[in-house]
Amino acid sequence: MSFIIKYHVALPHFRISDKILHPRTGREVQHAVCYTDEDIITLAYQAAEQVVAPNIDAVLFATATPVFKGRYHASYLADLLGLPDGITALDLGTTNRAGTDALLLADALIASGRHQHILVVASDVRFPSIGKETATPFGHGAVAMLVSKDEGIAQITGAASFSEGLAEEFTYKEAPVEYDARFARVAGFMNNMTKVLAGLAPETIHRLILNSAYAKLLSTTLKKAGYNLEKQVAPDNLVAQCGYLGAAHCLLRLVYAIESPPGVSVLVDYNNGSNVISINVLKQAFPVLDMLNNHRPLTCYQDYLALRKQGKFDGKAYQSIEMFSSEMMQEREKNQFLQLKSFACKNCGTVYYLKSARCNHCKGTEFEAKQMAKTGTVYTLTSEHFFPASFPPTNMIVLDLDGGGRLTLQQTDDLYQDEQTEISIGDRVKLVLRKMMENDRKPNYFWKCVKL
Amino acid sequence: MRKTMSRKRDIAIIGTGLTRFGELFDQSYDDLVREAALQAVADAGIGLDDIQAGWLSTAFPEIGVFKGRSGMDLVEPLNLYGIPVTRVSNFCASGSDAIRNAANALAAGECDVAMVLGVEKLRDRTPQDSIVKMMVELSHPFFQKGFTAAGTFAVYARRIMHKYGVTLEDIANISVKNHYHGTMNEKAHHRIACSLEQVLSSPMVAAPLTVMDSCPTTDGAACLIMVRAADVDKSKHAPVYIDGIGLAISTGWDMPFFDPKHDFCSFQATRDAAAMAYKQAGISKPLDELDLIEVHDCFSIVELITYEDLGLCKAGEAKDMIRGKATCLGGEIPVNVSGGLLSCGHPVGATGVRMVVEVVSHLRGIAGDRQVKGAKRGLTHNIGGPGAIASVIVLNKEQ
Repeated sequence: MSFIIKYHVALPHFRISDKILHPRTGREVQHAVCYTDEDIITLAYQAAEQVVAPNIDAVLFATATPVFKGRYHASYLADLLGLPDGITALDLGTTNRAGTDALLLADALIASGRHQHILVVASDVRFPSIGKETATPFGHGAVAMLVSKDEGIAQITGAASFSEGLAEEFTYKEAPVEYDARFARVAGFMNNMTKVLAGLAPETIHRLILNSAYAKLLSTTLKKAGYNLEKQVAPDNLVAQCGYLGAAHCLLRLVYAIESPPGVSVLVDYNNGSNVISINVLKQAFPVLDMLNNHRPLTCYQDYLALRKQGKFDGKAYQSIEMFSSEMMQEREKNQFLQLKSFACKNCGTVYYLKSARCNHCKGTEFEAKQMAKTGTVYTLTSEHFFPASFPPTNMIVLDLDGGGRLTLQQTDDLYQDEQTEISIGDRVKLVLRKMMENDRKPNYFWKCVKL
Repeated sequence: MRKTMSRKRDIAIIGTGLTRFGELFDQSYDDLVREAALQAVADAGIGLDDIQAGWLSTAFPEIGVFKGRSGMDLVEPLNLYGIPVTRVSNFCASGSDAIRNAANALAAGECDVAMVLGVEKLRDRTPQDSIVKMMVELSHPFFQKGFTAAGTFAVYARRIMHKYGVTLEDIANISVKNHYHGTMNEKAHHRIACSLEQVLSSPMVAAPLTVMDSCPTTDGAACLIMVRAADVDKSKHAPVYIDGIGLAISTGWDMPFFDPKHDFCSFQATRDAAAMAYKQAGISKPLDELDLIEVHDCFSIVELITYEDLGLCKAGEAKDMIRGKATCLGGEIPVNVSGGLLSCGHPVGATGVRMVVEVVSHLRGIAGDRQVKGAKRGLTHNIGGPGAIASVIVLNKEQ
């Protein structure tokens, strides 16, 4: 028996509407799209930092769009979050079912007694082919959940997986394969769903969540089985607001269920087989899905292309820039770089991000460790027009953090430089983890800031 | 209380050499070394074999032509083999620091005749591939990432505007003044006067600093021949004496941007270096006791801040000096009559030496149209890094 005790959703700030992607045929559907310095790692971190706890003993990372090959995303994320070396850290991938694969595994590991507090993260960033955007319900985002043996917001009351040998669309040795769609649906999806539904009792379910592109095919079957389609089968309202988040989508729908009135929800996540997870929502949580309303629309297709790094960049020689980076330095200094550990002078209290033998101001020689905050106030700033970036200028912000300490960081999410993003001395900002160089050649994550 | 160097060294400059500053596509690093050095020894009335030790200032070989990584690059083009030559690197203050080291060696008796040569060859690359590259590709992966050199000073401009009511026009008028002065300097990179409107409307580099608020990327070399004052032969030389030299590193490369008490309104290094130089020179009222000043105006805002740091006015009053034209040629204390870095350009290792060559020419009375009349005592101010390093040298016509 396990519980979801915390959760969080991370969506990029920007949305593109189908109407922009295809003015003649596009509908009122929004897709969450990464800024140039975001990827599955930054989104996963953004979601996970809100749920991370010191007693986490395993990390499960689900994605169908990995950025690493030969390196575990879960281990990397554990490192970014400052979790202890050597904890269980596993990746789950292959299909968009990976998010519930992770949740199912977490439940099993806790039930077995091997682990007590597991961080489950699903993060996906998939761009469809150019010209096929409106035909693909894509979106970028991450969901993090802390699954524990301790009682929390929702209880996982059952979890099962049903394999299916048939898949309608997949990749074989990097070549896409598409079987007959109707055959795959009937022989694959419908066959699999028959097995799934046989094990469910409609009268015990408040909310049935079917996470599949073929969900509508089940209407007749569900009716026959005794379900009230309007009351019990939850429509996917989220896909129109942020797109289909791939491996993170079913967990996003689970969050929606958790933030709905209490009761028993059953998730059926189908993708080349299905996961079925039964959740009993015990108490109301702080609603994170309100964030769906806090976003900014892209105003033209060219901006979308620039965000996905297609075509010409404004920044001169941007793609050829190879910034110095050192794995050794990043490993050695990770407490400072990633955890924002600083030093406070024991004599005068001045907080330093950079280590020094003596305090600059009182010459004190004794320091104590201090955790820096992730919010602060702008002290001074400039806009750099010659720093290579996708969207120059790059705003550099000198900021004083709440509780002490100063950092100098780039502003981000400032594609459109107007009253919403314009920063002045005295403005409030918060820190976000992003890629420092956007050329995607090396993992290189550090802090930037956004205007509050 | 910090102990500072207070002993005057009694050193004289007896020869100067200076190439054109600019985009010298027709001259190599070695050509620049030869031109400046041969001018200086001729001016001093000596031969190359009279040089007993040398100091070479090149700040950034790795973003230039990989020359200047050691003293060898002074020795080789001049065939000066067999003497000690040290390469000095202290960011943009390298030239001044080379002078300080030569003065110390002379004062210590290590040598009797010293050559100081500052040279930088940046325009065998594009500006993006030199100074910008240094900040973008060759620096710390995270700290200050996003800045170019301009930005590290622009954050001072923003803060000073916020705190003291300095206007964009005040900052731009420094550029207008220095570009006007530069029209009278045949060796300056830019010899074009500009209007306030032109400065304000030129392309933005790092807000609020525009292209016209920024020094260009430049090639050039400057050279000095130095001896102990006691060894000057006045029948042969037109000496200028070093009254005081101060050099201080007072903040650091990264620390200003991570120190919550750094106020971004002043360069402490300038204040510390000036205190040393003033003490050696016996100066207590710099505004009254100096006739001209060459300031490190890599960006126009730096000159404005330096008025206050050198003690020419109180904190927050520098804007009044600009508004009152006190620092124009003919004003109360002319600053950067050479055109400064904004007009001359900034071949980094050469700049500190070029400033001294400029002040020496005024004290000798040979500065031509831009001569500060009756100049007897002048000062050079050379900074490095984001204002972290500063050198102040006081020069006197009389011993």
